Amino acid sequence: MTGAPLPLASEPSGMRAWLLSAEPHSRWQARLGRFYLGWRAFSRNPLAVVGLGIVLLLILMAIFADVIAPYSPVAGGDLRTQRLLPPSETYWFGTDDQARDIFSRVIHGSRITLFVVVLVALIATPIGLLVGTVSGYLGGWVDTVLMRITDIFLAFPRLILALAFVAALGPGIENAIIAIAITSWPPYARIARAETMMIRNSDFIAAVKLQGASTPRIILGHVVPLCLSSLIVRVTLDMAGIILTAAGLGFLGLGAQPPMPEWGAMVATGRNYLIDQWWVAAMPGIAIFVVSLGFNLLGDGLRDVLDPKAAK
Amino acid sequence: MGAVTDSMIDIQNLQVVYGTGRLRVDAAKNVSFHVEPGAAYGLVGESGSGKSTVLRAICGLAPITSGRVVVEGKEVTSPRGKAFYRTVQMVFQDPYASLHPRHTVDRTLSEPLAIHGEKDAEARILQALREVGLGPSFRFRYPHQLSGGQRQRIAIARALILRPKVLLLDEPTSALDASVQAEILNLLDDLRRRLGLTYILVSHDLAVVAHLCERLLVMRNGEAVEETASAALRSGAASNDYTQALIQASQGFTRVAPQPVRAPAA
Amino acid sequence: MTKPLLDVEDLRVRFHLRTGIVEAVRGVSFQLGRERLGIVGESGSGKSQTGRAILGLTPPPGEVTAKRLAFDGINLQTASKRTLRTLRGGRISMVMQDPKYSLNPVMTIGEQIIEAYRAHVRASKAEARDKALAMLEAVKMRDPGRVFALYPHEVSGGMGQRAMIAMMLVTDPDLLIADEPTSALDVTVSMEVLRILDELVSERGMGLIFISHDLKLVSSFCDRVLVMYAGRVVEELEAKNLREAKHPYTQGLMRCLPMLADDVRPLPTLNRDPAWAL
Repeated sequence: MTGAPLPLASEPSGMRAWLLSAEPHSRWQARLGRFYLGWRAFSRNPLAVVGLGIVLLLILMAIFADVIAPYSPVAGGDLRTQRLLPPSETYWFGTDDQARDIFSRVIHGSRITLFVVVLVALIATPIGLLVGTVSGYLGGWVDTVLMRITDIFLAFPRLILALAFVAALGPGIENAIIAIAITSWPPYARIARAETMMIRNSDFIAAVKLQGASTPRIILGHVVPLCLSSLIVRVTLDMAGIILTAAGLGFLGLGAQPPMPEWGAMVATGRNYLIDQWWVAAMPGIAIFVVSLGFNLLGDGLRDVLDPKAAK
Repeated sequence: MGAVTDSMIDIQNLQVVYGTGRLRVDAAKNVSFHVEPGAAYGLVGESGSGKSTVLRAICGLAPITSGRVVVEGKEVTSPRGKAFYRTVQMVFQDPYASLHPRHTVDRTLSEPLAIHGEKDAEARILQALREVGLGPSFRFRYPHQLSGGQRQRIAIARALILRPKVLLLDEPTSALDASVQAEILNLLDDLRRRLGLTYILVSHDLAVVAHLCERLLVMRNGEAVEETASAALRSGAASNDYTQALIQASQGFTRVAPQPVRAPAA
Repeated sequence: MTKPLLDVEDLRVRFHLRTGIVEAVRGVSFQLGRERLGIVGESGSGKSQTGRAILGLTPPPGEVTAKRLAFDGINLQTASKRTLRTLRGGRISMVMQDPKYSLNPVMTIGEQIIEAYRAHVRASKAEARDKALAMLEAVKMRDPGRVFALYPHEVSGGMGQRAMIAMMLVTDPDLLIADEPTSALDVTVSMEVLRILDELVSERGMGLIFISHDLKLVSSFCDRVLVMYAGRVVEELEAKNLREAKHPYTQGLMRCLPMLADDVRPLPTLNRDPAWAL
């Protein structure tokens, strides 16, 4: 209760009233109402919406790559007449040294990028979340052991470890993903641990303890949901870095192997023609830039919505 | 179940110590009291008096260094078993901190039922809401959609949903406005009579303790100062200087007052 | 009648939020002489926002308007930033609820008092030091020299709040605004702190605005009491006449407290009449 609100805000109606109801009638209505409030806060940030748009575009591009791409991403045209053509009406982004349409390759490359991003998120987030919450909640020697392990992983330079990994297992996009994933979970564990230590001593955790809840139940049902939002924000913000690392590995020839249309590898090929045929490197480079930016903007927007400390 | 006892809760020479060496803190020193079934017992004192520590030691949130805590004739085990939590429940001070911010009222109330494998959750949740004077319309709200008093009612409903015999109340009204405090005190008074509950109430407010409890223990620096009855307190029959000072202070500010009792230098 | 120290007429504090405009203070008027005025109300009544608005400490989305807001004849609404700065902390001071949050954790208490003094009075370091020590003595610190060199985390809540009062009174202000100055303290300690505050205020002839949720405390400490509800003053009365309160809200607030002296059961609760908020 902070004073009496003036009747200036118009009364919500219909669907909105249902979503914003102070007295939801079911679990679903309560949950959707919360989601709607989050979406309203999110959509008020235009840059965040742009970020979301870019990410959605990437997803659509990956799904409908076969439909959108006018040419094959792998098979080239006539090497004598269609090599290294500048952007034109026929080849929107020009062609590369194998006479392949760069536009089609960029479109198909989105699949690889998305594959990397999703897989890294699916591997690294749960590991980080579990290690962090268990470590933070239990404390004591469990915490010490888990955090020292985290420190060890944190001490590896990401790209170098990925290099070593790929050197040992052989180059390939899958190995690159595993390498990136095992080097990206430690910061998540750190965040989850810090959040857990704040939550651990709060009354609502003491209350559920006093109901006789088991430790796994407390961690999974009560601690994890509170750590999740800040982690989602962090993972989204890290996506740009992950894409860049994957592209970096591709650039070094250790990630996706030719003729896969991986953006980093495409930039690498373009390096030889950088002065005279700039589009070969620039087009996939722009794609990397735009998608990284998109994830960053989305992450910023999500932070404003999900992180109660940053929210006003 | 063989032993016949006349105490619901019996605390014998309870001592709680945190840390060792220079960092050693004696949070509770040699505290003893007992509470009969259906009675309400108050622990009064200022911050650092050890009143909350005693409460937390009973339910297992603080370690028992030495001494015995006996509930229904059985000494408690560490860690406490599920049966203990069906007998003893707790209500916390800050209603803003004791409810999970991402859980609806429904989730908060169904959790204890799920943990103890209770059936008929739907009916029991609605009944618990009714008991604390809230309608079914509150069931799917999040804590941020509730006022402080409503939150505290939910916390009480959560503590009651397993049908415990003992309720530990840790300053249940000190975070609330005076008018809301009156409502919660009335509710607690009423629930005790209707459900035959036993209360242990911790508070810094002498008037609140005297209102809700029949007997009380005044505590200071981890030690019991004086055990007395609320009726005696009302008639001003406090033998101890410190208790007298607490009574003075609870009456409001007095311009020409006797020297306040100073705490001994730590 | 002498000129009032503080003259407030139709004070309003509005917060422009996404969800609409919330008016926390809705037309508060009062005059203050060199006396002790209490402002009582429950959370959300606008009592704290009233105190903050006088000092110009309303947090960002807030907007303060008033027909008149004058301190000792100076219009606080049109005064320059510089004038306000010299007034604030110089002639008007504020003591907040929790000393833990209002004292700078990385400076000793003595340094903070010196800084507060030298920000408003031209004085040498030695003079300021003497003044600070005298102030610490005035708030009944047993060993001012020792407390002078302590950091805020090294003192108890009661000592911290006394240090805070020393810091706020070192510039000899004419008006002190105390917002729940003893709510974070134990009862016996808070009585001690209030006694010190009481002495200093009457000795120096200051005006005092004492903001609190505790009707019993305010009425026993102050000369005059404003009772606030939903951003308005619903009743103004002499503290000694509290028993004759007319407004049902004031009456309800008084009755709903459990009393040591008599055992009323169930406690009368407050039925909030929507008309009070109009």
